Amino acid sequence: MLNTLTQAFALITTWEVIIAIFAASVYGLVIGSLPGLSATMATALLVPVTFYLSPIAAIATIVAASTMAIFAGDIPGALLRIPGTPASAAYADEAYAMTRKGEAELALGAGVWFSAVGGIAGTLSLMILAPPLAEIALSFSTFEYFWLAFLGLMCATLVARSSPVKAIASMFIGLLVACIGIENPGGVPRFTFGMTNLFGGIEPIPALVGVFAVAQVMRAMLTPEPPPIPRRRFGSILAGQWKLTKKYNWQMTRGNIVGIIIGVLPGAGADMAAWVSYAMSKRFSKEPEKFGTGHVEGLVEAGASNNASIASGWVPSLLFGIPGDTIAAIAIGVLYMKGLNPGPTLFTEKASSMYAIYLMFIIANIIMIPLGIIMIRLASHVLRAPRATVMPVIMLCCAVGSFAIGNNIFGVVIVATFGVIGYVMEENGYPVAAMVLGIVMGTMIEQSFVTSLIKSDGSVLPFFERPIAAILAAMAIGALIWPVLVWVWRKLKRSPVPATSAR
Amino acid sequence: MRLPDRVTGLFLVGLGAAAAYGGWQLPPVPGQPVGPNVFPLVIGTGLALCGLAIAFGIGRSFEEEEHLIPVEGGQPQPPTGKLYGLRVLLPPALLLFYVAIADRLGFILTAAMIVYVTSTALGARWKVALPLALLAPIGIHLIFSKLLRVPLPPGVLPMPW
Repeated sequence: MLNTLTQAFALITTWEVIIAIFAASVYGLVIGSLPGLSATMATALLVPVTFYLSPIAAIATIVAASTMAIFAGDIPGALLRIPGTPASAAYADEAYAMTRKGEAELALGAGVWFSAVGGIAGTLSLMILAPPLAEIALSFSTFEYFWLAFLGLMCATLVARSSPVKAIASMFIGLLVACIGIENPGGVPRFTFGMTNLFGGIEPIPALVGVFAVAQVMRAMLTPEPPPIPRRRFGSILAGQWKLTKKYNWQMTRGNIVGIIIGVLPGAGADMAAWVSYAMSKRFSKEPEKFGTGHVEGLVEAGASNNASIASGWVPSLLFGIPGDTIAAIAIGVLYMKGLNPGPTLFTEKASSMYAIYLMFIIANIIMIPLGIIMIRLASHVLRAPRATVMPVIMLCCAVGSFAIGNNIFGVVIVATFGVIGYVMEENGYPVAAMVLGIVMGTMIEQSFVTSLIKSDGSVLPFFERPIAAILAAMAIGALIWPVLVWVWRKLKRSPVPATSAR
Repeated sequence: MRLPDRVTGLFLVGLGAAAAYGGWQLPPVPGQPVGPNVFPLVIGTGLALCGLAIAFGIGRSFEEEEHLIPVEGGQPQPPTGKLYGLRVLLPPALLLFYVAIADRLGFILTAAMIVYVTSTALGARWKVALPLALLAPIGIHLIFSKLLRVPLPPGVLPMPW
């Protein structure tokens, strides 16, 4: 244990890793704080760069950039009422109300302080949860993996803030995309339409870049530019945060726990954690009437929650290769690229790398406090960069980055195609995150499904025979029929009303 | 590009049916009951069913309207013309333009055009767009080609490094 810890320290105290963490932090802070550029997009655009780094440095950039970007989304949320990332949308109103009351320092300070606390709590959960779960996961067969992956996909559709039917449809689209190529049980070209470029299948990363970055540039073409941030001078950012920590200790802990649970659930990420925690904070608050008028309590809970979910989202990613959210989906791609294939054996064979990941999370969350304060002070300058100068650079990064992943120009075609697909889907209420998870998990779910079917000789019964498989199956099927039950219940409750009004 | 649910739903029915049919046609693995044909069959059927449900408006009641945050002072209304909506296709079109032309023209020139067009489309004046179109491609080239050794096409204007 101590030995692996020293090894882990040795792994991360190279210049390459230190520079990578620092540069990725600055990058994450800037992208995260620009309205319209989300944390997922920041991470996706970073992948081509990680290609050329050592494994630990590559993961370090992902960890640092995603952690910073989730916090940095609070900055324009508080100053402009425009959340920088979707994860800050839940409490942007509240934070802006505080700014109008002249408490911008307190709101932003709470953002940086409780984000750091939440991030560290999430990391601790990753350290504590992952190894024992890995022990259990070692005895999993393809049946359990199938149900686990299925459950993951169902969770992704359950938490989407849109119609569950559309979310399930998005997920199927993603799975269909994953069908393309020759990497299937028979090794035959499937849905390739004779195009050699499609034989290798659709890489998740260019698809992600298309869905999250190109689609965003497309949206920017039709929406008016957000107003620039008014210049202001800030007082002390961290003053009073310790008092808040003591006063809202329970809220903070609850936010951490909720964030951790939502992060571990496959498919549900930081934005969901923030919405749930903010709603919970309001529900259980002693002074709910103050919410919406610039009350810091909800900020504490939701800020702690969304950053906690980032670290705990890595638990299912590292253990099963099932992403906890879209950022973790990108991380899985990087892990595979770097020979750290997700799976329970990762914790025994590459223990020092795992400890290095924990350490990087903790370091990233600690340096977030000073870097975050600098970013807040510089915000009025950075956020002045007009969209017309940022978006063209993003376009170039999309083109070059997707080319760099395979040194194949076809990657750029994929990015453009998925930009259109992502834009159309989002416009019509189909959540793209569900599709992304489908693409990432498609191969895995097909493999476990077909292998299980071959093992069971085409019978469905063995899918439910092993105890853990049965539990997972029950949960997955429950998740599938849950929206149906809710729908029927709502119909039953509502049907008498129009009947009486018709008379 | 907001389409009625009926249209997107029926499109998904078609897509699902095509996928199921295409999967069904795939050759099975000899001596195995299941092969590469099973998964597309399942996915396609599921997608078609979802498409039907969407076309008939099932699950609509769950949809939350986008939580739009009004900006103080009122937002400037975007001009609405017939061709205005087509601007949205500019980014993917530019990327395809890059695919078609980058090998012949080289990275720097193609990238400069993409930057200039995108920047102008987003409302930048030429005083901003032109320097950006000169500097951004060189910067990106420096990072990706020099630092990360991505083989970007040199074309007619190779960089000295």
